[in-house]
Amino acid sequence: MKPFDIPQNDYMYSGHVGCPGCGAAIAMKFALKALGEKTIIVMPACCWGVMSGSHPQTALKVPILHTAFASGAAAASGLRAALDMRGDTETTVMTWAGDGGTFDIGFQALSGAVERNEDFIYACYDNEAYMNTGVQRSSATPAGARTTTTPGKDWKRTRKKNIVEALAAHRITYAATASIAFPEDMILKFKKAKSLKGGSRFIHIFASCPTGWRMPSEMSVKIARLAVRTNLFPLYEVEEGVRYTLNYTGDRPVKDYLKLQGRFAHLTDQDMDAIQKMVDEDWKQLQKKI
Amino acid sequence: MKKVLEGSHAVSEAVKLARVRVVSAYPITPQTHIVEAISEACAEGSLDARFICVESEHSAMAAAIGASSGGVRTFTATSSQGLAYMHELLHWASGARLPIVMAEVNRALAPGWNIWMDQTDSLAQRDTGWIQLYCEDGQEVLDTTLMAFRLAEEVNLPVMVVLDAFFLSHTWEPVDVPDRESADRFLPAFFPRVVVDTANPCNMGQMSPPGVYMEMRHSVQMAMQMAGECLNETEDAFYRVFNRKYGRIEQHLCEDAEIVLVAAGTAVGVCREVVSGLREEGEKVGLLKIRLFRPFPSKIVSEVLKRARKVAVIDRNCSFGVGGIFAQEIKAALFNSDHRPGVYSYIAGLGGRDITPDTVREIYRITRNTEKPEPESVWIGLRPDE
Amino acid sequence: MARIERLIGRGLYQQALECLLVENPFPAVCGRVCYHPCENSCNRAGLDCAVAINGIERFLGDEALHGRIQPTVFRFPPRGKKIAVVGAGPAGLSAAYFLSLLGYGCDVFESRPEPGGVLRWGIPSYRLPEDVPAWEIRRIQSMGVQIHCNASVSADFLEDLCRSYSGVFIGAGHGKSLTMNIPGEPFALDGLDFLAGVKQGELPDVKGPVWVIGGGNTAVDVARTLARSGLGVTIAYRRTRSDMPAFEQEIEPAMAEGVRIMELVSPVRIEKQGGSYRLVLQKMKSTGEKVRGRMGAIPDGTDVFSITAGQVFTAIGAGPADLWIPPLPGDARQIPLSHCTAVVHEIPLVYGGDLTNSRKSIPDAVASGKQAAMVLDLLFTEGKHDIPEKLKAFHVGAGPSLSMEMYIGGERKERSRRVVSYGDINTDYFPPRPRVLKSSEENTAGEDVAVDEARRCFNCGICNDCDNCRVFCPEVAVVKEDGSARRIDMDYCKGCGICVVECPRCAMDLEEEPV
Repeated sequence: MKPFDIPQNDYMYSGHVGCPGCGAAIAMKFALKALGEKTIIVMPACCWGVMSGSHPQTALKVPILHTAFASGAAAASGLRAALDMRGDTETTVMTWAGDGGTFDIGFQALSGAVERNEDFIYACYDNEAYMNTGVQRSSATPAGARTTTTPGKDWKRTRKKNIVEALAAHRITYAATASIAFPEDMILKFKKAKSLKGGSRFIHIFASCPTGWRMPSEMSVKIARLAVRTNLFPLYEVEEGVRYTLNYTGDRPVKDYLKLQGRFAHLTDQDMDAIQKMVDEDWKQLQKKI
Repeated sequence: MKKVLEGSHAVSEAVKLARVRVVSAYPITPQTHIVEAISEACAEGSLDARFICVESEHSAMAAAIGASSGGVRTFTATSSQGLAYMHELLHWASGARLPIVMAEVNRALAPGWNIWMDQTDSLAQRDTGWIQLYCEDGQEVLDTTLMAFRLAEEVNLPVMVVLDAFFLSHTWEPVDVPDRESADRFLPAFFPRVVVDTANPCNMGQMSPPGVYMEMRHSVQMAMQMAGECLNETEDAFYRVFNRKYGRIEQHLCEDAEIVLVAAGTAVGVCREVVSGLREEGEKVGLLKIRLFRPFPSKIVSEVLKRARKVAVIDRNCSFGVGGIFAQEIKAALFNSDHRPGVYSYIAGLGGRDITPDTVREIYRITRNTEKPEPESVWIGLRPDE
Repeated sequence: MARIERLIGRGLYQQALECLLVENPFPAVCGRVCYHPCENSCNRAGLDCAVAINGIERFLGDEALHGRIQPTVFRFPPRGKKIAVVGAGPAGLSAAYFLSLLGYGCDVFESRPEPGGVLRWGIPSYRLPEDVPAWEIRRIQSMGVQIHCNASVSADFLEDLCRSYSGVFIGAGHGKSLTMNIPGEPFALDGLDFLAGVKQGELPDVKGPVWVIGGGNTAVDVARTLARSGLGVTIAYRRTRSDMPAFEQEIEPAMAEGVRIMELVSPVRIEKQGGSYRLVLQKMKSTGEKVRGRMGAIPDGTDVFSITAGQVFTAIGAGPADLWIPPLPGDARQIPLSHCTAVVHEIPLVYGGDLTNSRKSIPDAVASGKQAAMVLDLLFTEGKHDIPEKLKAFHVGAGPSLSMEMYIGGERKERSRRVVSYGDINTDYFPPRPRVLKSSEENTAGEDVAVDEARRCFNCGICNDCDNCRVFCPEVAVVKEDGSARRIDMDYCKGCGICVVECPRCAMDLEEEPV
């Protein structure tokens, strides 16, 4: 770790209303460190929509344009067009959306914008459920997790949607995963995304949620690191949908990750083995592409 | 210069003259000719704008919101299902006080699938905070579209220019297309009052708790209340350049009319013919054309109508459970006036069914011969076996 | 330790040595002869292998010894009180050093012609060249400590001292060898005398094979000294090797140099046999019961056997001269402590060093001198009550170790008192990496190696400016204004605790806000 590679400037204020230990807050902090002040954030409904502050306050030192839940990518397309028409090609437009606004309701707009190769960054901070509304499952909720809409014995059996692969299939200019536990990696990816002007860029951020995952707030970063170390959330990049780069190889069993979170507390050893199998399978698939 | 133009192209010509910078649209019949023409103008360079071919109407409006927030003149067009799909964002555009202009081609809503003329789609959006202007012919479409930008930018509210499917959108008429210089004189470059800007970072459209939300809504209403007067000023300015004006409403032979017909859109033309004919026959009949539906010009409408004995409102729409929407508005406008004529509500010409002179004559006949209005809207031209 | 490693890791040797000198006057000495129990407590052992603290200490000490750094030793202004110190061994010198640091004048009285005690007379040169302790003793003298050599302290002289000084530290040591009480004992040479003679350049003419009776460090030092001169040497010990009081770190090289160990044998008698000796030994067996930490041993039947020796040495331990036997426990005026015993007469007397230490070692001697200095200072400034309680405030780590830095109110005082264990370390930040610094008696580690090794240190409990707390804080509530240290903006801290967990070295703690 070379801590001094991390830019010193912060474009986020203290006093946002995120829960203690919020991974999404950390994610925003890192993203803006990389992107700097010439950034406009387009924000569909998500935790950050609330966290960014009630009228007339703001938690960020860059402008935020809120938009309807399904329209993060579309509103950004329009904003980008406006800036271009005004001759401002310097400012980075970034959609900052949660997993619901990306994997689910916003997916059509995202797919459309990426197919049009809109010149913007779409960052999805993924906390793996509708946290802002009280922990309902999304298509980003992983297999094994309990949410308020996958409760009790009906915990989620199906896999998490693989959003990066879906976008790679669009032959997106740049797609990458990032984790709040790997600041340098995340900041480098945002810097790279910023530099790849002219096309769509997507960054999928693993942002732990102590509230929704039922774990102690201080474990937020540790858990995020474990997700990477267990290969459950591999850190990698895809350029033009085909050139893959793997940034990290995990070395821990997925159990180490699952056991620390209340949302997985009900899983038997057998269930955890099945999840391990899924992870191994996905990992193998990914490695074939490297 | 006079040109024979399709109604759709009257829109696209106005968009070109308005020097729109961003257009986002999703195709839907019968709006397609509008966006095709704009797309072509962008491609050939006659319009210096970014045309965003979005993947849905929801995104079309979202992109328009993004663009308008970015401080450029923005346009979109849709119809029917597409407008319904946009609904959420129509509220957003007005709440965000964005001067977006949209051409909305009145088309029926499914099911069953029907691509023809019907006003329910736009009227169903009456509470979204959009200014709505209904056009009668190609010239009015062009002129209204051009005026819409100036009006929208003046009051910071979005404007919907409404034209009838096919009867207007696909009908070719001679239209006087203004020259660029005159158009520029009427519509100066857009200087947004608020713009998303890194030099002045604001949180726009954010969480607004009870302590502030109501004031925000009130400001939209205040802007709407101003919009009628602003339209007058816009029309005056337009008149000074082009020597044409339309008004919020148009009265035709209403001065001494005992019965006044009320209509909007292309049906107005038919009514105009019928009224002239009936006048020749000695009937004391007049016609009120509603051009501005939102904000509803209640005051002048009641001023005109209170002199009549009966008012016959022709609605090409239906608010199920109540009836004709224009009729409701007119009843509401008259309710507090000293003299309240009987308001006869008729529903006709839904889903592209023609409103012929005979239809209008029948409406006039029923109105004249009926002592008091029916409690419910009367449907005209239903097939007898239905 | 962690802070010293951190400073070395940054190349700040002078500051590192200054830190070290607040706690230990003998870094170059200890870096050579300390059996480094500190490395056994090093948390890094949980991951791969303890940091080579001892080797790093030696590097630091030698940097000063070679004049490459000139540390300034912290000192309080003079307090106008003088202390007499009996014995210029490591305990006495340490006491004088720490007392001098605390502002007291010190006179040290030493019976031998040169100061140093075991450092000068007991430890063979191959382990501790004479110039190393000599140099570090000069540093103590340079602080104003007066050392009076050839000054034996008699009972009368001690009474004089009690009249003319404000306090006395007695670190006279265990210089009197114990006897075996067996027939023919005078035929054997005394190990301590032999070592002292060697240190003075007198190598007696010894014939092999040599037998050394005993199991302590002196026995091993005697054995090694002789083995290195080419003789065959066997150590005869009454218990098993694992019970030998000698430090394993010294037994190992002895074995490597060819010294043999015969376990479970006890000497019965020594007979002269022409030019050599006959050593009769009794076979022993283990009793299976531990007595004071060591396995008891009793004769195994009546079997005896004899061996022929060119020379027999005895090194079965040493005791104090009669004058210096500390008073027995139970005296009301006595304050027994981990490394010394204070007796409050008209003036305070503190017994320390080997006289009171259960483990006779250099680091224990230094600890004794330090504890004595604190006890004397507390007696003068705060009176005789609750001394053990008061000392607790300056404890570091889990054991009895005291910190002079905490005593004098240094930076360390500000730190959490929590003892960081391996479990507290966030090992995500430390990839395993074997030891870089490999110790050797001959050579001090070079700068590159020492720095690299110091960087292996977890810096347990010490902020090393890694910035993780600030990097990960979701509230931007860890602030660092230009040039100042990080602080937590309590107005915005939500107490999530991420900074505590992500601090690799557990330098942060989350506490309930006082109500």
